[in-house]
Amino acid sequence: MEKFNANIAEILEVDKVEMDDELSSFECWDSLTILSIIALSGENYNVTLSAAEVNNAKTVGGLKELIKSKMK
Amino acid sequence: MDEKKKFVLITGASSGIGRKIAIGLSATYNVVLNGRNFEKIIATKEKCSEINEQIIFIKDLCDINELEEQFSEFIRENNIEISHFVHCAGYMKMVPLKMTTVETINTTFTINIISAALILKILINRKLNNAALKSAVLISSNISNFGAKALSIYGASKAGLDGLMRSLAIELAPKIRINSILPGAVKTEMTESIFDNNETVQRMEATYPLGLGNTNDIYEMVEFLLSEKARWITGQQFTIDGGRTINISG
Repeated sequence: MEKFNANIAEILEVDKVEMDDELSSFECWDSLTILSIIALSGENYNVTLSAAEVNNAKTVGGLKELIKSKMK
Repeated sequence: MDEKKKFVLITGASSGIGRKIAIGLSATYNVVLNGRNFEKIIATKEKCSEINEQIIFIKDLCDINELEEQFSEFIRENNIEISHFVHCAGYMKMVPLKMTTVETINTTFTINIISAALILKILINRKLNNAALKSAVLISSNISNFGAKALSIYGASKAGLDGLMRSLAIELAPKIRINSILPGAVKTEMTESIFDNNETVQRMEATYPLGLGNTNDIYEMVEFLLSEKARWITGQQFTIDGGRTINISG
């Protein structure tokens, strides 16, 4: 998951992200961004996420943990 | 010359709308069931009518390199003619433009359009199919003439499919009629990810004046368009979406 932070930062349209950044606090946070995260986890980590799961992850760190927990 | 048995070819017959169409048509026609998964195709075949014949053509339409050769060989080996064609195989991935990859674009266009064009090319080959093809129906989508977030590539492919349909309707007339059906939201394996989310389903239901549809709603139109009842209809898009795309209530 080396590139996770860089990939998430790109999707969230910022230069860098911190683990405790709240997902909903980003200016570009919307349904399309959630779809981008679902696509990222599917393509890069072979993990299928639902929109509800992404929302429940709350923070960047929470999202990382969620994907890790679902990786085989 | 011996009269060969006539069949309807249905791509994407292993699930969803394609499976329903295959099962429905098997009551009146012999059918060729195409899909990539043998077990799922067998499950479709088991639900087909026993009155008529079913033949299986296993082929992943994502791989078009040998499609023409393999499909030609299939027709020859089985000694059949294809009189009707329904293109149901479809690939949909909801992905915003910034996450779109070349692979997604290729897969979407290959399955949704290119495979249909190549199959039609074989079906109009006089030597192979003896001018047997009478009518074809391509399953498009109600996004074809409209737009939606995260569906740009899928929407482009369905608009392309309808473009193919219109030009071929002219090129292949008067012997062959070709039309497309533009379904709205129908719950199938392909759209499972959309229907998984209760919030989305509720939001969608509110925008469908007649509520959400099922696979039989699409089958009924396919059966009509293939039949002689539709003898003066070609080159048309038929939207079957419970009124979704004409609804402009706020």
